[in-house]
Amino acid sequence: MELTEKLISQTNPLKMENEKALFQVITGGPLKVTGPFQITGSDGEIIEKEEPVYLCRCGKSSNKPFCNGAHKRIGFSE
Amino acid sequence: MTDPRDRQYTNGEITVFWIPSKCIHATTCFRELIEVFNPGRRPWVNMEEAPTRRIIEVVNKCPTQALVWKYNKDLTEEERKALREVDHRLEENPKTLSGTNAPTSIRIMKDGPIFVEGNFKIIGAENQELKPTIMTSFCRCGSSRNMPYCDGTHRKIDFTDQSTENGE
Ligand code: SF4
Ligand code: FES
Ligand code: FES
Repeated sequence: MELTEKLISQTNPLKMENEKALFQVITGGPLKVTGPFQITGSDGEIIEKEEPVYLCRCGKSSNKPFCNGAHKRIGFSE
Repeated sequence: MTDPRDRQYTNGEITVFWIPSKCIHATTCFRELIEVFNPGRRPWVNMEEAPTRRIIEVVNKCPTQALVWKYNKDLTEEERKALREVDHRLEENPKTLSGTNAPTSIRIMKDGPIFVEGNFKIIGAENQELKPTIMTSFCRCGSSRNMPYCDGTHRKIDFTDQSTENGE
């Protein structure tokens, strides 16, 4: 693969496959979601939200299920 | 069987029952014994791949009784009949079949992981592509030993959706 092509596919995988939802695990941070998806909350309600969404992985957000930056404060690491 | 999606599998000695409506996809079964419980295969439970003792051990760990087992000698007449009629095609999760354009479903499990179904792609923390299965659940409690996936630890640490102010 050409280097430029490789960079594009790494930095923006949506360019290659835009009909799939994409989950990106951010080191020490949330899960970034783009593409076509539907989120159902823990009470069964549909959550309307524009992409991208950032879902909390560290367990400490006070705005669950979304990230509110708390991962930085607690120094979350895998 | 009450629900037509319920399944049973046997190795001649014991029968394992899978009740999808109770399965919260905690993934315990396949983290523990992927040889037997492999959501990527059809049928997804393969009773020949481990000794009975080991299968019982893992089935007993299922947090919701979505998996239960019985000695074959204890099966009811109805259960014996069902064993002869298993149709594994019905096990296919239609949302997972490629070529569907339905949006990926993301379910936030109460006090538990993020459960994802559909046609999607995962990029890991090292920028590598990870393989989705029919039961992909991402850890939300911060404590899984198998990041980014849930391994059931959220139950041990009593993770809750309630925002606690002692995160300060
Ligand atoms: S261990 Fe988890 S994934 Fe396996 S059957 Fe039970 S609830 Fe479902
Ligand atoms: S990952 Fe950002 S607040 Fe939890
Ligand atoms: S949510 Fe299950 S281990 Fe973290």
